Amino acid sequence: MSEPLKKPAAIEIHDLHVELGRVPILTGVNARIRKGEITALIGPNGAGKTTLLLAILGMVPYRGRIEIPNGAGRPRIGYVPQHLEFDRGMPVTALDFLCLPRQRPPVWLRHSRRTREKALANLELVEAAHLSKRRLGILSGGELQRVLLAQALLDDPAIVLLDEPSSAVDRSGEELFMSLIKRLKKERNLTMLLVSHDLSMVTRLAGQVICLNRVVLSEGKAAEVLNEKTLSGCFGADKGLLLHDHPWGEDAEINCAYHPDQDHGDH
Amino acid sequence: MDAIYHLMDHLPFAFTGDLFMKRALLAVLLVAPVCAAMGVMVVNFRMAFFSDAISHSAFTGVALGVLFGIDPLYTLVAFGIVVGLAIISVRRLSSLSVDTVIGVFFSFAVALGIVLISARKGLTRDLHSYLYGDVLTVGDGEIALMAALFVAVAVFLTFQFNHLFLIGINERLAKAQGAPVKALEYAYALLLALVVTVSIRVIGLLLVTAMLVVPAAAGRNLARSVRSMFWASVGVGLASGVIGLVASFYWDSATGATIILTASGFFLLSQVTGALRK
Repeated sequence: MSEPLKKPAAIEIHDLHVELGRVPILTGVNARIRKGEITALIGPNGAGKTTLLLAILGMVPYRGRIEIPNGAGRPRIGYVPQHLEFDRGMPVTALDFLCLPRQRPPVWLRHSRRTREKALANLELVEAAHLSKRRLGILSGGELQRVLLAQALLDDPAIVLLDEPSSAVDRSGEELFMSLIKRLKKERNLTMLLVSHDLSMVTRLAGQVICLNRVVLSEGKAAEVLNEKTLSGCFGADKGLLLHDHPWGEDAEINCAYHPDQDHGDH
Repeated sequence: MDAIYHLMDHLPFAFTGDLFMKRALLAVLLVAPVCAAMGVMVVNFRMAFFSDAISHSAFTGVALGVLFGIDPLYTLVAFGIVVGLAIISVRRLSSLSVDTVIGVFFSFAVALGIVLISARKGLTRDLHSYLYGDVLTVGDGEIALMAALFVAVAVFLTFQFNHLFLIGINERLAKAQGAPVKALEYAYALLLALVVTVSIRVIGLLLVTAMLVVPAAAGRNLARSVRSMFWASVGVGLASGVIGLVASFYWDSATGATIILTASGFFLLSQVTGALRK
């Protein structure tokens, strides 16, 4: 918070309130997501992290202002959801999945050439070209996550929202996913907002961190926010947190673990 | 219509010699692919119970028609649409699970129908052809209605299939991709109610849901992609319809039930094929 904000904002949130079924979920959130950076959104279960992403996507009603400076037109935002729950027996291939929302002709007729080429290029980008004809239901957690990332990038978005991307992903899948995120952010100058419980992932990827529990408790550079005092304030005392002295941010190569109970019912 | 019937005279099948068989074949060729194509979504959305509620609302639909002196075809279609839209609306507004909401409407529609039918003894006669279907008495007006529905479903699935399928995979993701989830849900329910109620004359209210579900389930067993599921379902639906109609002609059995029996045979084959592939 103390550091002067040099980079322009990709998303500015002013006094955001969200109620779901008359239950207040977010109560006056103010935050600034910097352009071209990876910002991690951390907080305990029920803190409203997913709800904040949904509000940015315009999928839940809210009071307050969310500004996404984009010149003319609707800003393009990619979205990687948490735990894609679906019927795993459905015969839908990774290529079908990418083409479904993007092409005019019905998929039962054909894949349109342009969408197909773009989808295949995106699958290659996330090292998943070999999965194009494979059914979604038989993909591993890491493979599915990469396919979801490929679909999030289909419209060449400037902003990508990732909700718990490492949940249900094994260690090697997580490593590959993190290296992809770093590379894509660098190559495409993407703004990424990442919800994560995995502080190891947060410390290795994020330049900025927002600590949320219905309101923003702290916001700033990862090194400033990720300390025992702030985290205890955010998560409560001793939740299995392990922090070391290490370099922070996008090039950090450290092990830092936080193991809260798996969050399956987050707001 | 006469031109179509005249053309059908050239078909090399003895069973199309009579006008009622020509009409029956036309009705099956129109209804079977429509049911199978809509069935792809019924299976993906797990809406078999919804379809059952619509078909069983025909008890009341037919009774209302006879009571008020209107052609029961119109009242059963109208009442089916009312029940379908009511289910979707209540499900959206209440916290009850979808099967509970459908269960309530299912019971209401059947109970009301039985009360009306039992109070007016003469109604039982009229109900018979709707219970089991009676494709051999289908008239030109009904053929025209089925043709219109065929076109409506084809147009709807041409323009909205991709979004609908995405909603079937994951509603939140579909919403994030810009799919008009609520509008599509209502439109699909409306069209499904129409398909179910119009198909009752061919298959019968007891078995019409099977015409939606069984070919699509067989198609799903055989398919490896969305496209192959769609075409396999339509293929199984059409083949079951035609084979079932011809078989019922020679066996003198109920056409709707024979069609569903044929479709069930295809399903069994698909199940074995799917198991062998693994």
